[in-house]
Amino acid sequence: MSWPLSLEGPPALLAGLGLGVAFGFLLERGGLGDPKKLLGLFYLEDFTMFKVMFAAIATAAAGIGGLSALGLMDLGALAIQPTYLWPMIVGGLVLGAGFALGGY
Amino acid sequence: MKPYWSPYAVGVGLGLTLLTTYVLMGFGLGASGAFTHVAAHLEGAVSPARAQANSYIAGYLEAGRLWAQWVVVEMAGVVVGGFLGAWSAGRLGWRFEKGSRIGWGRRLLFAFVGGATVGFASRVAQGCTSGLALSGSAVLSPGAWAFTLAFMTGGFVTARIVRRAWR
Repeated sequence: MSWPLSLEGPPALLAGLGLGVAFGFLLERGGLGDPKKLLGLFYLEDFTMFKVMFAAIATAAAGIGGLSALGLMDLGALAIQPTYLWPMIVGGLVLGAGFALGGY
Repeated sequence: MKPYWSPYAVGVGLGLTLLTTYVLMGFGLGASGAFTHVAAHLEGAVSPARAQANSYIAGYLEAGRLWAQWVVVEMAGVVVGGFLGAWSAGRLGWRFEKGSRIGWGRRLLFAFVGGATVGFASRVAQGCTSGLALSGSAVLSPGAWAFTLAFMTGGFVTARIVRRAWR
């Protein structure tokens, strides 16, 4: 149970920079820097965002579950987003509307 | 100009990036939090008394210097990464994305209103498509899944209303 490492200070910021670069690079190469592809799901014309999101969620969830099953990851030490159901439903609806309004 | 990579390959790469984030940090990737930090620091610089009187904004200012905030540094990395991705694929250039049936003024107005709406909503939900829909869903947070479904519903319905403006 040595993970998560829960880095702090300069090592944490360095990791954040590197992870952010990987995040941005992959989003761009996947086409999610293009608003037409980003919003294609809402028009049922381009499912890139859907495929990328769910492949990413499945990969990360399987990885975290696998590491936990191997005894390497302490799930209790992870920051899990607390649930505030109604704010999250209302915020999600409005955020989706904002995405569509921003449009192209 | 190189074609985009397979969305499944990108998704797996993104999932491994997210997994690495959880292993190293104990939390996931974010985006809207960085903008909140910037907004709080702007208010703190322009109107310190007003910023301190607001417990939500004051909480962000108590976290310390802007560039010592993990999510701010991460978002700076996203900008660099996006730039490198576009540059190495030959997609770098100056252009505005715009549909053929909308004028520039309306295009920019819609973009501003949409962006402000997203910013507001991310504070209501305490997260956005990165922190909740991606990172929260991967650790099976029920609220994150509710957010993701609501996000898709809100986008789908609004797109039906505004689509004529751009086609």
